[in-house]
Order: sequence, then structure tokens, then C-alpha cells
Amino acid sequence: MSAPSVEKGIQFIREQIDAPVASFFSSCVHCGLCAEACLFYGQTGEAKYTPINKVEPMRRIWEQEYTLWGKIKSSLGLSRKVTEKDFEEWETLVYDACSLCGRCSLICPVGNDISDMIRKIREGFAAAGYAPEGLIGASKRAVEIGSPMGVKLPAVKAQIAHLKKDTGLDAPLDLKGADYMVLLSSMEIMNFPEYLEAVARIMRQAGKTWTISSKAFEATNAGIQIGVSDIAAELVQRVVDAAEELGVNTVISPECGHAFTAIRWEGPNLIGRPFKFKVQHILEVLDDFRAEGLLKTEGLEEAKLTFHDPCQLVRKGGVVQQPRNLLNMVASNFVEMRDHGAMNWCCSAGGGVSANERADEVKFKAFNQKKSQLDELGVDTLVTACANCRIMLEEGIEEHEMDLPVVGLTEMIADHLVEERVEDKAEDKNE
Amino acid sequence: MSTISNDGQMRDAIDAMDTGQQRILAARFVEHVLPLTKDERVQRVLQIAGNEESGDEQLLAAYKAAKAAALEAHARCGSDGEWNDQTGYFVARAAEAAVAPQVMSHGKSVAWQTALSCRMARTAQVTDSNDDAHDSESEAQYRILNEFLTR
Repeated sequence: MSAPSVEKGIQFIREQIDAPVASFFSSCVHCGLCAEACLFYGQTGEAKYTPINKVEPMRRIWEQEYTLWGKIKSSLGLSRKVTEKDFEEWETLVYDACSLCGRCSLICPVGNDISDMIRKIREGFAAAGYAPEGLIGASKRAVEIGSPMGVKLPAVKAQIAHLKKDTGLDAPLDLKGADYMVLLSSMEIMNFPEYLEAVARIMRQAGKTWTISSKAFEATNAGIQIGVSDIAAELVQRVVDAAEELGVNTVISPECGHAFTAIRWEGPNLIGRPFKFKVQHILEVLDDFRAEGLLKTEGLEEAKLTFHDPCQLVRKGGVVQQPRNLLNMVASNFVEMRDHGAMNWCCSAGGGVSANERADEVKFKAFNQKKSQLDELGVDTLVTACANCRIMLEEGIEEHEMDLPVVGLTEMIADHLVEERVEDKAEDKNE
Repeated sequence: MSTISNDGQMRDAIDAMDTGQQRILAARFVEHVLPLTKDERVQRVLQIAGNEESGDEQLLAAYKAAKAAALEAHARCGSDGEWNDQTGYFVARAAEAAVAPQVMSHGKSVAWQTALSCRMARTAQVTDSNDDAHDSESEAQYRILNEFLTR
């Protein structure tokens, strides 16, 4: 692979300009609604954070090279070429102040997928060498080690051993023909081991077979975040190879937003063929279990609680009703935020923002949007279904001294299962 | 009273305790893994958790301190995660569980949740070396619990 350069970056951006992108630029009516939909613009008031402005270098290349008027302007010296200075200036707009949440795309009256264009322009910025250090490091580790956080198989095995000894539950590795192959995010492995326990308990009650692949346990896809399709495709391919080798029916994407987008929606396009298995988010699986009567729960959360919709699940993945069905099983006082479901506001740390330390200041400013949503409701508990959202929400809540626990929905469902302790069952058998 | 020698017995014994007793026991569990963190806030949290005279306001302040310690210590998404650094995170989470108000703990057993995080801290310490530290921490917790029950 050749070294990053501005010329290479411009070439990569040029290659991203396809018919949809051309039509998006042609049809933009400059209404400004995308600005109102963007939490980075909304919470800072700075015009440079307007979503459509974030793809301005791409628009200039499109205009200068693919439109008659642009070519005339260029020949008369009336337009400015994209330069290294532009890459320097736009890098923070493209990576720090956009979580790829897709709210701008949803609100655009002419249907421009601005979020996808930002995803595409990142290809050029990464190729030019203008990407955050944190994301570059995460991408390298994802390719070389298999996890953006450097989590190796022994760590997963340690978690499984921990689970087995504490609960008696197993998380089988490489079980051929299992109903489900469960993916994990490194965040869950390192910070939230309770997720694995919750899955093990739910699968036991549902009577389903499941497995974790020793060759591809990682769900996250740093290639999607940094904007390098080659890396994204390689990471998807590892999961596909593992799932097909094990012959599983369904691959479960964990409580991680972008991982679901990567494997479920971008995956087949990235590798150029359909999968031979189904991909579901864990909440879709749980809701199927609920509908089939496989989840038996008891007790209701009495706390007033609300649900933070991870953007990639609702806006890009269509997983809107499932978490609500599940919450209504276990909560007596579930209330909705003013903007929820497909119109929910991002936690402010998606799309690689959380892996980019440089973005901390703007990220916390953007979090004020979520704070105002929560302040309006006065809830006692916040539930979500994305480990990255969860950490960001906890950080934001801590920053504002808001005394609000953040809980993963899968974990909450597991906590309400009607079940006997495994060690009790073993004791019964021995009697 | 029979000696605690497995998790089933441990959970039964914990379930028979009130929350106040569980906090004191939980503080002792955390003390055992305290060398795995450098965060002085955790030490102060334990003093409050281990004192049966601690009031709700003190417990809430301790909870906030433990929560802040855990958040500062967590592995950042996309960072180069170091398991040795995660020990501090799990010790802080253990301390957080030990002083969590009822509404924050969602009715979960204080001492059991603390014990699990202590075990994770020990597991994190040796994850890179493939050693199994889980059993040693469980055994230590059985011993601590036995001592607690016979005090």
C-alpha cells in the first residue's frame, strides 16, 4: 500500500463520487435543516459544524471535475482546488464533530444521505493521512490482532472461565452447527463482562445452542469508523468465514451500534456477496424469544426509566420497537424522551468519536443535547443497548453530576429471568 | 454453622444478611484486592462501606467517588487496552457496588456483586499471562466470609 498523500486522498474522494453522491450534491436546496438536526452544530452554534459543510471538499471536487459549470469556473481560475490546507482544516470536522448518527440524512427534505457522504469522505482523509491517531491505532490493532483494543483470545477464554466458575454457565467456543454465533465488542470484554453472563443466561432459558468463534469473536469494525473499506471488508470477511465454517444459522451482533451497521448492512456489500447466515442484533433476537414465549421474566423495575436509542440501531438498522417490547416486559414506569426512536439524539460519541481523544471537548459540548432530554424527564434510570453509548452516557452524566445509573437492556432482561441458580440445579440432581 | 466452601453456600449466606452487613462484608472483599489499584478514593470509599455507622449521605458521596474512579479507569473505546490497567477499573467497580444505593443497584446483592468485580480484578491482573487467578480470589472470599460469620 502506498504512503498517504493529499493526492491519494483526493483520488480516493474522487472514487467515492458515484451517481447517488452526484445527485445529492445536485439536489441540495441549502435549506439548513441538516444543521438543525446535527447535535454538534446545535450545541456549539458554529456554522462549520453544519453537516453539509463537512463534505464541502468532496462537493468542490465533484463540481470542478464532473459539472460543466464547475469545469468552466476551474478553467477561468474561479474555483479553488482542494489542498493540503483543506485536509488540515476539515479533518476535525469530518472525524471529531460527526458521529455518523444519520440524523441529518433522515431529516433532509430531498433525501440526501449526508451521513453516508461523510462516511465516504473519510476514505479520502484516511488515504491522505489525515485521520485521528486513536482511530489509526484502533484500525491497525483490529487488522493485526483482531480487536481494536488489542483483546486476544486468552482474554475471552478468561472471561468464559470466569463466567463458568461464578455461575456454572458455559459459553461454548467453536460449537459447530450452533443456532447462534455470538459476537462481542472489545468494550464488553474489557468493561462489561456482565453482558456475556446475560447472554448465557438468556440462551439457557430459551433453550438455544450458541457459540463464540475463537477465530472471529470481535464485532466492532474500525474500518467503518476510520473510513477504509479494505479494512472494513477484511474484518467482515473474518466473521463470515468463521460463521460459515461453524455452520451457524444466525450471527448475533452485540450491544454495539456501529458493529451492527458494519456486519448487517454494509457487510454483504463490502465482501461482494450475500451471507449464508442471518445477522441479527441481540435486541432482535431477544424480541423474537419474547414473541415465541421463550423468555419468562418476573418482577418489574419500579424506577422511572427511559431508553436511549443507539443511532445505528434505530436510524440505520430499524430496531425501534423491539427494545420497547422488551422494556415493557420488565418495567412499570417506562417513559420516552421527547425525541426518541428514529429521531433520537446521539450520545455524541459514535462513529469513532469516542476513540478520538482530540474530540473530547466538542463531544462533551454535544452531550448537552442528551442532558436536556434527560432533564426534561427526570428519570431514575437510563437504559441503552450499546457499550459505547453506555460509557459516553456515564461520562456525560458524571460530568454533570446527574446521579443516574446506566444499564444495558440485555443485562436488565437477564436480571428478570425466572430461573434457578445453576448450582441449585446441580444440588437437586445430587439429592 | 458449616464452613463456606463454594459459591452456592456463599450466595446463600450473603442472601441471609441485611444490606448493612453486606456492605461491611463487601468492604472486606475489596480490601483484599485493594493493592491492585492506585486510586486513593477507593480506600476512602471502603472506610465508609466498612463502617456500620455510615449514613445515607456518606454512602451516596462514597458511591459518587467510586463511580468517578471507575469511569476514569475504564478502557476507552478503541484504545490499546491494557489488562493490567483494568484491575483498577474492576476494583473501583467493586467499591461502587459495595456502597451503591438501592436505586442504583437495582436490588442486586451488594456483597455478591462486589465479590464478582473483585474476582474480575484478579482475573484482569493475570489475563495477559494466561494464569488462572479466579480460584485464588474465590477461596480468599470464602475465607473472608467464614471469618465474618464467626466474628
